[in-house]
Amino acid sequence: MTNVGYQLERYGLVIVWLAVIALFGALRPETFLTWSNFSSIFGSEAVLVIVTLGLIVPLTAGDFDLSIAQTLTFTSMLTAILSARMGVPIGYAIPIALAAGAIVGLINGAITLYFRVHSLIVTLGVGTFLHGITLWMSDSQTISGVSRVLMQYVIIQRIFGIPVSFYYAIVLAALVWYVLSYTAFGQQLLFTGRGREVGRLTGVAVGRVRMTAFVVSGMMGAFAGILYTGTTGSANPTSGTTLLLPAFAAAFLGATCIKPGRFNAWGSVIAVYFLVTGINGLSVLGFRTFVHDLFYGGALVVAVMVSQLVSGRKERTL
Amino acid sequence: MPGEIHGLLGKNGSGKSTLIKILSGYHKPDEGTLEVDGRPVPLPIPLGRSEAIGLAFVHQNLGLLPEATVLENFIAGDHARAGQWFINWQAEAARARRLFGQHHLDLDPWATVGDLSPVKRAQLAIVRAADRVGSHSEDASAGLLVLDEPTPFLPIEGVRELFAMMRRLKETGVSIIFVSHDIDEVMEITDRITVLRDGHVIDSFDTAATSRTRIVEAIVGRSLTQERLVHAEPLANVPMMSASNLSGRIVRDLDLEVAPGEILGLTGLIGSGFDEVPRLLAGAQLASAGRLAMPGGAVHDLTRMQPADAVAAGIALIPADRQKLGLALDLSLTENAMLPMAARGDHCFLLDHRARHAKTAELMRRFVVKAESPRQAASELSGGNQQKLLLAKWLQLGPKLVLLDEPTQGIDIGARREIYERLLEACAAGAAVICATSEFEQLELIAHRVVVFERGRVKAELRGGEVTKSSIEAACYGETRTYEHG
Repeated sequence: MTNVGYQLERYGLVIVWLAVIALFGALRPETFLTWSNFSSIFGSEAVLVIVTLGLIVPLTAGDFDLSIAQTLTFTSMLTAILSARMGVPIGYAIPIALAAGAIVGLINGAITLYFRVHSLIVTLGVGTFLHGITLWMSDSQTISGVSRVLMQYVIIQRIFGIPVSFYYAIVLAALVWYVLSYTAFGQQLLFTGRGREVGRLTGVAVGRVRMTAFVVSGMMGAFAGILYTGTTGSANPTSGTTLLLPAFAAAFLGATCIKPGRFNAWGSVIAVYFLVTGINGLSVLGFRTFVHDLFYGGALVVAVMVSQLVSGRKERTL
Repeated sequence: MPGEIHGLLGKNGSGKSTLIKILSGYHKPDEGTLEVDGRPVPLPIPLGRSEAIGLAFVHQNLGLLPEATVLENFIAGDHARAGQWFINWQAEAARARRLFGQHHLDLDPWATVGDLSPVKRAQLAIVRAADRVGSHSEDASAGLLVLDEPTPFLPIEGVRELFAMMRRLKETGVSIIFVSHDIDEVMEITDRITVLRDGHVIDSFDTAATSRTRIVEAIVGRSLTQERLVHAEPLANVPMMSASNLSGRIVRDLDLEVAPGEILGLTGLIGSGFDEVPRLLAGAQLASAGRLAMPGGAVHDLTRMQPADAVAAGIALIPADRQKLGLALDLSLTENAMLPMAARGDHCFLLDHRARHAKTAELMRRFVVKAESPRQAASELSGGNQQKLLLAKWLQLGPKLVLLDEPTQGIDIGARREIYERLLEACAAGAAVICATSEFEQLELIAHRVVVFERGRVKAELRGGEVTKSSIEAACYGETRTYEHG
């Protein structure tokens, strides 16, 4: 493959994204192409970026975490109940929610590793179980009245006009990028996913690596849940349900760019914003909500098809 | 011949399996004709048609599904007879019981195959095959069974039981081709023997009228001796490592020592357990008993040692399946070569990618790995270059003990030579090397000492000038002590 071709492949999704923006901008310049529209996209979809980043950690280690969206719903509800119903200061509610996410990760990891069950099944069950708990503790109601302090630090404060939640997502993406590309642990994750026996025979503690990946994704899910509550000032018991598929679509779509063939942080960020720009543009054009499912579902299938094509070819590293 | 047990003998690569694959319709023969029961059969045989012309096969892995019941396995592939839309399980069970009874086989049709002893499993597979040719054959003949190495993993009593069953089958008019490595077994059970070498029939014998020596001669042939690459003696007589009381799945109560600078070869026939030893010593497979003493007084319990402990103790395992266990093929050469450092957690918070590529490029020069760039995926290399990369990955650590399992499988002569040279260098630097292989020429070239296994135990030990291809072959196929005592 020529160098030009390779660069084109790396930035292909960015180019498509810009093309999509140009297209909708030409069609609806007065509503779509406004700074307020973009800054609200950047801010509100930070939650989806963090869920996607949480997914690619276990995905790199060869495990699926289908429970991450329900972890988000659960911790979002937990934060709301602690803050609105029980009057717990937000400074305590946040660490409690993060710890809850870590515990979910530990449970996922323990069952997957100890009983040697495929993570797909384990996390599907654990996620559904968590959803049940969420409905139970909220009595299936939306809980509002969360402390303004949380909203202040998530959505109200803005830097360059964009809510701070966006910057949290970018900092996390930088962290995930650094860990995957520049640490020994990143290499251990990679070998755990791509050559588990090779890694084990070379001395990688694959069990510990997989467990860590589950705990990280649980905590990222919890962090996304806290941000979700902060974005709307409330928690509703079905919030995460619609995030799982977009996050998977973005993770796989992200693996087709920046570092083609691998789940990577910046690719995931670009993929999320590509997908939500598409959805936003379509709704500005007047399409109703069914386009969400068409777009996300289609994107997931196209993404895995493309990544299959990419992985069949030459791959490069830094 | 009808009602005959015919033995097929030959070394690895002599053409036994090719012949069987042609018979089962898996391979297309270049030329030749086949007659069954005096009638010519068109070649290649269409897949799935072999039973209709009276042929059935039992391969070494038996083709049984361990999770399913005896009965489910028994009628698998025979669903056309058992009923396409409705299987009458009670009637099938009764039929299976009747057939098992005819073969003196005490088996519950509802038992799970995974719970059966290895012998019972082998017998089930044979009865199933016999039933297939008996009931499907287009004429009334009893058919021909091909048993492809059914015995290596059976205990001695199991082999006897199996032989009793084969004799009873023979009395009912079934013909059997028995493929094996084990001359004693073949001599015991067969009426006639055919020996293959390099794809040709070397000779056919009447079993009763021939001797073991003549058969061994036919199998081995005249061997050309190659120049030995190893000249130097081991650096010291003090052992570098010693394993004691080692037991695995096949290996029993093994004691083994290697000196620094020594290349120790382990060999034997298929199923003798020699190939298990490297994995046991590297913690890749937990031993059921055994201890490993390394220099400096460290003693490892092999029933709990993990690969990470082995690596930390200076042990390197170069596994036979390099594509699955040695390298992660879709990752880059650098990532593969630098994995031992990443696994250990060197520079854990800031990997210097430029230095990693430079170190890999240096290793590639030293180990003559031919590739465009260290950034390439390992899958793009040829088998020989992959193996050299794997060797580089481990030898850069300066291991004290290098364990190799079939290090030159599927590798051309030039690359082999380079691999041997690297191993000899490692030896000269003071490492102890254990090489498990079924390629005797290789041992003649590089081993100071060779241990020959049989049924999990040491059968013979050859050292120095005794290490020649022919003497190893003689030891492998030689008169067996343990078998006689049964």
